[in-house]
Amino acid sequence: MKIWKKVALSSTAILAAMTLAACSNGGSSSSSSKGSDSGNLTLWVDTNQVPYYKQIVKDFTKEHKDIKVRVTQSPTGSANAKTDVGKDPSKAADVFEAPNDHLGQMADSGYINPLSPTDTKNIKANYVASAVKGVTWKGKVYAYPYAQQAQTIYYNKSKFSPSDVKNWKTLTSKGVVATDFTNAYVMWPVFFSAGTKLYGDNGEDVKGSTYNSQNGVNALKWFAEQRNNKGVMQTSNALNQLKKGNAQAILDGPWNAANIKKILGKNFGVAKYPMINVGGKDVQMEAFLGIEGFAVNAHTKYPKAAAELAAFITNKKAQLITHKAAGQIPVLKSAITAPEVKSDPVATAVIEMSQPNNSVLMPKLPQMAEFWNGVPPLINGAYDGKVKPAQYKTQLAKLEKTSEKK
Amino acid sequence: MFRKKKHAAPAATFHEVWSKGSVATKLSFFIMGSNALENKQWIKGLSMLIAEVAFIVWLVFGGISAMAMMTNLGPNKTKKVVFDKAQGVYITKQPSNSVLILLFGLLALIVCMGMIYLYIVNLRSTRKNYALKRDGQHIMTNKEELANLFDARLHDTLMAFPIVGILSFTILPTIFMISMAFTNYDRQHPIAFSWTGFQAFGNVISGDLSGTFFPVLGWTLVWAVAATVTTFFFGVLLALLIESKGIKFKGVWRTIFVIVWAVPSFVSLLMVAQFLDYQGAFNSILMNIGLIAHPIHFIDNQATPLVARITVIVVNMWIGIPVSMLISTAIIQNLPTDQIEAAKIDGANAIQVFKSITFPQILFVMAPSLIQQFIGNINNFNVIFLLTGGAPMNNSYNGAGSTDLLVTWLYNLTFGQEQKYNASAVLGILIFIISAVFSLIAYRHTNAYKEG
Amino acid sequence: MMKSYQNQRRLSLIFRYLLLTILAVVWILPIVWIILASFSYNNTGFVSTFWPEQFTLQNYIGIFNNPQYPLVNWIINTLIISIFSMIISTFLTISVAFVLSRLRFSFRKPFMQIALVLGMFPGFMSMIALYYILKGLNMLNLGGLLLVYVGGAGLGFYVAKGFFDTVPFSIDEAAEIDGATKLQIFTHIDLPLAKPMIVYTALTAFIGPWTDFIFSGIILSTSGNAKNYTIAYGLYNMVHNSKGNATAYFAEFVAGCVIIAIPITILFIFMQKFYVNGITAGAEKG
Repeated sequence: MKIWKKVALSSTAILAAMTLAACSNGGSSSSSSKGSDSGNLTLWVDTNQVPYYKQIVKDFTKEHKDIKVRVTQSPTGSANAKTDVGKDPSKAADVFEAPNDHLGQMADSGYINPLSPTDTKNIKANYVASAVKGVTWKGKVYAYPYAQQAQTIYYNKSKFSPSDVKNWKTLTSKGVVATDFTNAYVMWPVFFSAGTKLYGDNGEDVKGSTYNSQNGVNALKWFAEQRNNKGVMQTSNALNQLKKGNAQAILDGPWNAANIKKILGKNFGVAKYPMINVGGKDVQMEAFLGIEGFAVNAHTKYPKAAAELAAFITNKKAQLITHKAAGQIPVLKSAITAPEVKSDPVATAVIEMSQPNNSVLMPKLPQMAEFWNGVPPLINGAYDGKVKPAQYKTQLAKLEKTSEKK
Repeated sequence: MFRKKKHAAPAATFHEVWSKGSVATKLSFFIMGSNALENKQWIKGLSMLIAEVAFIVWLVFGGISAMAMMTNLGPNKTKKVVFDKAQGVYITKQPSNSVLILLFGLLALIVCMGMIYLYIVNLRSTRKNYALKRDGQHIMTNKEELANLFDARLHDTLMAFPIVGILSFTILPTIFMISMAFTNYDRQHPIAFSWTGFQAFGNVISGDLSGTFFPVLGWTLVWAVAATVTTFFFGVLLALLIESKGIKFKGVWRTIFVIVWAVPSFVSLLMVAQFLDYQGAFNSILMNIGLIAHPIHFIDNQATPLVARITVIVVNMWIGIPVSMLISTAIIQNLPTDQIEAAKIDGANAIQVFKSITFPQILFVMAPSLIQQFIGNINNFNVIFLLTGGAPMNNSYNGAGSTDLLVTWLYNLTFGQEQKYNASAVLGILIFIISAVFSLIAYRHTNAYKEG
Repeated sequence: MMKSYQNQRRLSLIFRYLLLTILAVVWILPIVWIILASFSYNNTGFVSTFWPEQFTLQNYIGIFNNPQYPLVNWIINTLIISIFSMIISTFLTISVAFVLSRLRFSFRKPFMQIALVLGMFPGFMSMIALYYILKGLNMLNLGGLLLVYVGGAGLGFYVAKGFFDTVPFSIDEAAEIDGATKLQIFTHIDLPLAKPMIVYTALTAFIGPWTDFIFSGIILSTSGNAKNYTIAYGLYNMVHNSKGNATAYFAEFVAGCVIIAIPITILFIFMQKFYVNGITAGAEKG
């Protein structure tokens, strides 16, 4: 009989099963309480941040001799923290970088630990209000913030004067603005300018959206108008258009400021968003405010050490290092007033944008996933005419329905 | 045909083995391998015995609980955040990890089935030895058994490792995926999930996702037909062109086309996506030679769905025609020429010869591989994912774009923002059903599925 | 009369050459552009012209000296994986094909039917399970990736089986009458005959790891260590990682792509003959 094969087969299978079973028993345990001030930690940051975080971490390990830290790049970047961590939380880094809109989902899923009461108190006292709000979810703080991001307008000084960029109309009649109507992060805030709310006042209320209204329709109309505006260019690569001279201004975030400086040289100009005319009213064009922070993995074996690391790499010195190395805008009150930040025009513009009437904090609700998926086709459709004005109402209602689902 | 060897199995029923066998033979019904040991087939007997002992130990210490846990995929469904006073930090008590529970449960089931099979094998071996002994014939020695593995039982030896590989890296994951479709494994239940029956199927076929599923399914089928037919048909034409009389350096011509096929697709497709961009090199070429006045949106988000879909099919032709050209060349070179000669004497022109002789013959030879290509195109991930990423966006779809196929949508559902693992498992099953139905119909019609 | 016929022939030939030339240009143009783009100076992550505005070798120098993206490590990793995968997969695939074609046994048909069924499930769905299986075995590394590549080798027997089916069975029978064992028939008679098939299978298995960016990404990305990547995932990751990455590394990415595409293209061109033989041999038998 075919005994040999089966013997070999089943013994291998049994062996494999036993190994797996053994591993599963070991692996399923949650955070155990190992020694508080020692540990082996992994830190995930974006690829281009690795060099200077290694530097920052070096200082940390000097103070905490028993903690070893490995700084590596996260699999697909901090913008995808939620999916990277979600793939297998127990294999993800102990401390990782995440944008604030991921925090709600990650907290609900049990991917991240809330901060200790002392750290929470510290953050509430010393950080700018929007940053504290940005990392708070259901009354608890879930990440150590280190940077704020809001889009601003970058322009060529030889083409526009500072007063030209204060108004969308003069801006687009004097030159060309390149932007991307398929990008919900860039475009949705026009709805805020139009006077609508996304998930309530604090972004935590699933039923609190008000964009399914005449104001929302006005916002969509604004997108449709831009199609015929010769001074507005739709592109998926605005930087390239700026470089080629086809556009003289772009809407972009601080992460691209260095590239833009290279392109524009001494003509580099940056300012807060202009005024736009939505629904017959002149209103401030708004932006999403994003808070970047470091969160502690709930699966970490060393919760204490991980929390210490996360706190350290977001301290004042670290925030200033990231500002210098990558143009990140600090969120610590004492760091914002540092001379090098004050003299940075990008930082000044972003901080101005971060004020309450210029921007809205990205909501943290898990439903943001549906929201991010549903918005781009709608705005882009309104812009290029695939969605007709007669459909605006129903389309907004549809978006509301899908992004309110539990 | 190879003559089928008759392993004239010695006649004996299990009942007879049980009632008339020796003690060791009877014991084989409980202790595997004891009959083999009695007959000095040490290696076989010991392996059997060890397998049984290991199995029972495993069953007691893990196997039973692994299978029992599968009934509800773990008792703890919610996480708990607690404050650890000693360390001064919050820690999270994780819920049961349903993915692992499901995986180990399935593995345990597979191991049990393997054991049952082994038990049957053990009984058959016992019966054979019993009958040989009863009839006074020679019972194989250890050495003979081993030698047999490289002769009459060679297939067991050679298939053992591939089968283990397929079981663990294809079958187990596939069953796991099928099971996932019956759970609520999604964004809200990322760690601990439960069985929910056909709920996820309902969601795809008649619920939320149905508005996306049916249009995407329609486009997937259109795409699969168009992609298969165009590459095949134009591949044949190109082969005929290169093979036609008077063309010199046929090999060089063929190589030019083959280069495109040879470049790794993630390189060629990612780059072609830029090449065809609104601001890309192709548009600037077209404008420079004066064919168009304004750039065209081929595959970006401003493109109309129709243009994007046609572009995708054309790019696929660019990649696929060289392959089918190569294959048809080989077939054309081997076609019997007498029929064509006869037709030419009768005054048929080139088109008629092609239409009624060459093409049907190629089609006949190619039919089975065409079906495979069709299935392959239903699952053609690379072309869509790398070229358009699903663009242009479609406002009436949920999580998919106008050029997304079922398989790229499935990928988005799993690895994208929404993390609807159960829905993507349902899609996987539906893709399987569609593929199976189409290939069944096709094989029936081409009559090519004879012996396989 | 004769002359006009000749003229017509000549005209037809010119027309066909013309057509062929146009087609060849259309086909090769994007490839030429990719090569040109790799020499193009670029800092916006986008090449919008056919002819580079500024030639540079910097992209090639950059890709070999990039501390975040160690191309040399990737090449070495991929080379090791692909050589092992080639040896093991070829052995498994050819064995299975031989067994299914030449031997008769009880689970032969069920096996082929199951293989057919398994082939119809989209491979992506198995990734979650594969990930956890490898994690359980503590093999979320290059070794685990090798297991994945090799694990499915037993299912890729179609082409080789088609080839074995065309080899006359009488040769085997004659050898058996002379007292050869099945193993001897396999190693001494059928294997030497199957040389083109072995080359084809080996090359396919060899090329696989160089072009797969999905499975390698799933399995290798958690380590967070770019030194462990294979080349396809590494390059893909280069432009799909973080904000601003696409801009910063695009030019080097193209250079890296050209570097790996050249050897693979040459291998493919070398392989085409075997590929065609395999497909047609398999197709004729069904």
